[in-house]
Amino acid sequence: MSSKDDQGFSRRNFLKTAGLSGLAGAVTAAGVADADAQTGPRVLGPGDVPITLMVNGKRLDLKIEPRVTLLDAIRNRVDLTGNKRVCDRGACGACTMIVDGRTVYSCSTLAIEVQGKQIRTVDGLANGATLHPVQQAFCDVDALMCGFCTPGFVVATVALLEKHPNATPEQMRKGLDGNICRCGTFVRIMEAAVKAKGVLRG
Amino acid sequence: MADQVGAAPPSGAAQTAQTATARYKWPEKPTLLGTAVKRLDGPDKVTGRARYSYDINRPGMLYGRIVRSPHPHARVVSVDTSAAEKAPGVRAVLAWKEPGTQVMYQGDPVAAVAADTEERANDAARLVRVRYEQLPHLNSVEQAMAADAPAIFPGGNVRDGAKDETGALDDGFAKAAHVVEATYSTHVITHVCLETHGCVCEWDGDKLTAWISTQAVIQSAQQFAQGLKIPQANVHCITQYMGGGFGSKFGPDSQGLICAKLAQQAKAPVKLMLDRKEEHLDTGNRPSATAHIRAGVTSDGMLSAFDAQSWGTGGAGAPSGFPLPYIYNFPNRKRTHKDVFINAGQQRAMRAPGHPQGCFLTEILMDELADRVKMDPVEFRVKNLPPRAPNAMWADYFTMGAKRFGWDKRHPTGDQTVGPIKTGMGVSAHRWGGAGRGSQSHIDIMSDGSVVVKCGTQDIGTGTRTIVAIVAAETLGLPVGAVKVEIGDSVLPFSGGSGGSTTAASVTPAIRSTSVDALDALFAKVAPTLGAKPEDLVAAGGRIHVKGNTSKGVAWKDACKLIGTEPISVDGKWVEGLSGSGTSGVQFAEATVDVETGVVKVTRILAIQDCGLVVDKLTAEHQALGGVIAAVNFALFEDRLLDRVTGQMVNPNMEWYLLAGMSDVPKIDIVLNNMPERGVIGIGEPPTVSTASAIANAVRNATGATIRSLPLHPHKVLAAIEQEKAGGTL
Repeated sequence: MSSKDDQGFSRRNFLKTAGLSGLAGAVTAAGVADADAQTGPRVLGPGDVPITLMVNGKRLDLKIEPRVTLLDAIRNRVDLTGNKRVCDRGACGACTMIVDGRTVYSCSTLAIEVQGKQIRTVDGLANGATLHPVQQAFCDVDALMCGFCTPGFVVATVALLEKHPNATPEQMRKGLDGNICRCGTFVRIMEAAVKAKGVLRG
Repeated sequence: MADQVGAAPPSGAAQTAQTATARYKWPEKPTLLGTAVKRLDGPDKVTGRARYSYDINRPGMLYGRIVRSPHPHARVVSVDTSAAEKAPGVRAVLAWKEPGTQVMYQGDPVAAVAADTEERANDAARLVRVRYEQLPHLNSVEQAMAADAPAIFPGGNVRDGAKDETGALDDGFAKAAHVVEATYSTHVITHVCLETHGCVCEWDGDKLTAWISTQAVIQSAQQFAQGLKIPQANVHCITQYMGGGFGSKFGPDSQGLICAKLAQQAKAPVKLMLDRKEEHLDTGNRPSATAHIRAGVTSDGMLSAFDAQSWGTGGAGAPSGFPLPYIYNFPNRKRTHKDVFINAGQQRAMRAPGHPQGCFLTEILMDELADRVKMDPVEFRVKNLPPRAPNAMWADYFTMGAKRFGWDKRHPTGDQTVGPIKTGMGVSAHRWGGAGRGSQSHIDIMSDGSVVVKCGTQDIGTGTRTIVAIVAAETLGLPVGAVKVEIGDSVLPFSGGSGGSTTAASVTPAIRSTSVDALDALFAKVAPTLGAKPEDLVAAGGRIHVKGNTSKGVAWKDACKLIGTEPISVDGKWVEGLSGSGTSGVQFAEATVDVETGVVKVTRILAIQDCGLVVDKLTAEHQALGGVIAAVNFALFEDRLLDRVTGQMVNPNMEWYLLAGMSDVPKIDIVLNNMPERGVIGIGEPPTVSTASAIANAVRNATGATIRSLPLHPHKVLAAIEQEKAGGTL
């Protein structure tokens, strides 16, 4: 897990490091557990384990293997398919969710890691039929084409503007650098972010 | 590829909307056409409600996974699926390649499994034991063309392609005051569709439903039927939303057929979406292009001769054609082409197939020739263009663009400013076809005023759903939101696949003619109550009224009450004259080059483009923006790298297969030249053709060094600068 940072870190770079160390940690933990189950960390799995996630304000009780990512748990087990799986290793941002106020690549975050945290996905941003101002801005300026990267960009923009309500264009670019679009909607996404910033600030 | 080689613009036939019968012709004063209409499915896409094939979850659904060859060339000795069959959760296993057969590239499918969770499907796939006998392989064009290359492909590793000869080459060179001779090349890139290829297959008895990520929903049904040997009537394909195709998604391919067979075997729905690595290896790519060119120019700056031997690879047994020379008028020219086969995934059409390659190879040469005769690159190009025509507007665009871009501030080749950051400008021109063909459509107008428009096309992100609504709403005098659009389903009236920038020009005439016919039927019902003749009625502003007398009319809803229980139900099809073919465009680029690191940054692009009648300004401009950004990737970042020893792809992912992020995107200025008299023409592909060439010429202008191959990676930029210092890149 990682947050965007506007002090010289790009989210993508930071995540790579964080993601790798996280994986290493998980592997080590399992190894220790096998060797000495009495004193080592609590063994989880390899079969299904019960977990509880708070997604978009709703409590979800799931039984999943510990290796299941947050993205797959939500997409495949809960059928909340708004956030997409594209690169599946924290390079493209299509799976971006907000966990306790920080953006994470949910394809590279284990579901069991984020129990007890508030998870927000693109599916939960609108208020009924009323779009979130960021979503509305994306529609207004046509900041999408095929739409497959859009959920990730929308969530990243929401998180960016929540953290930096007065974000400069440079901060916006940096904040959205962790997401990739293949149709080429970047120019309009910047326009949408600027427009949404205006709306959110009133 | 069968493209006209040489300077002739696309055929002059069917250039204008002359032949449409008067009743169908586009309105002279439209209210919606050409305006900025927001995408109808925007809200579904920004909220995550839009269900792509990847998002379809069916009750009891299993997950499929394909076992693929890790070797670029091998014979399959045996496929042992016994361990996979016993693995937890596994419900189906199938061998795709028989022992004794060959795999021709890394990623060639060999076997497949389906299990109750995706994780278990991955586990089971790893338990399939395939024994291979590795065979000699060809990893590069150079290896395949070498005299001692192993004979791997039936009929040879190298196959003669297109030949073209016009004029008298010797005379052309005799007239030349200067001759440039060099080798130019472009690289292989992959489509990187964000939604990978794949589908969800579900059987009901002998009937198959497939939610498939495709650019061709009806053709996919046809190909499922052929591949599975079942009647097409038993196949139903659905593509409501599609996460990018760019030319690579025109049918079920192997993964679709495998998915259907797994679902049949398991008697349960199966989702089989490729992973990112498979997507790079086995779903197509843009072939490489190389040409050794000798070209002559007269002392007064007229192109006189062009002699090229070209080749390229489209992978294992696929062609690699491209137009050459591109756009400009070389009166005496000769070109021979060879398709070179290597052991890598086969190419597929990729956004303007062939044109970015032919454009780059020609446009770099053009700047070199311009320097030889000491002419401005814009002036030089204008002097050597084919005659101006509606589909060949380059001269206007060069002139208009030079002014708008500030071309007069361009310095001669080589930025002499002090410091490591050099700036330069470049320019390039392109063309495309984009003609329409026979789409069909159906419209129902119900007695409550509802309008449903049906067409078996698909929206691949270009905004097709929205332009269908715009055309129907424009015709019926209704707001866009009053039209319900049904597309993306193989049971709907026929429409072709979305490729070649043909969709807008195919679909909109069908919708127009069908809407006009449906409206006429409604006029016939309404006319008596207004005491008017049907031909005197018009539909506008949500009302039907007598022409020239808005008060003598009736609201749309009230008019529709006269329809009764049987709706107005009209079939229609594409008619000639509402669409055209042939577009032209010019692009200008400004780039900076750090001559100490070799890093190129694109700062500004100006793209001037026509596409006939603009249907939706918002989505048409967006196609141009997207095309430019795709070509920034082609120029600076993406590159399919094969290991020169193992033949395996080094970067089958999205962290080392580089694509632009927000900070890499230049300022982009789009100028759409609306030409309503030409009818609708597609714009999906042309804007992506010129950008890379314009950028490369900007880099040349900045550094004084000519880089004749893409991508413009830092090491190549530095090498070219060193070579230039050491005696010139000529």
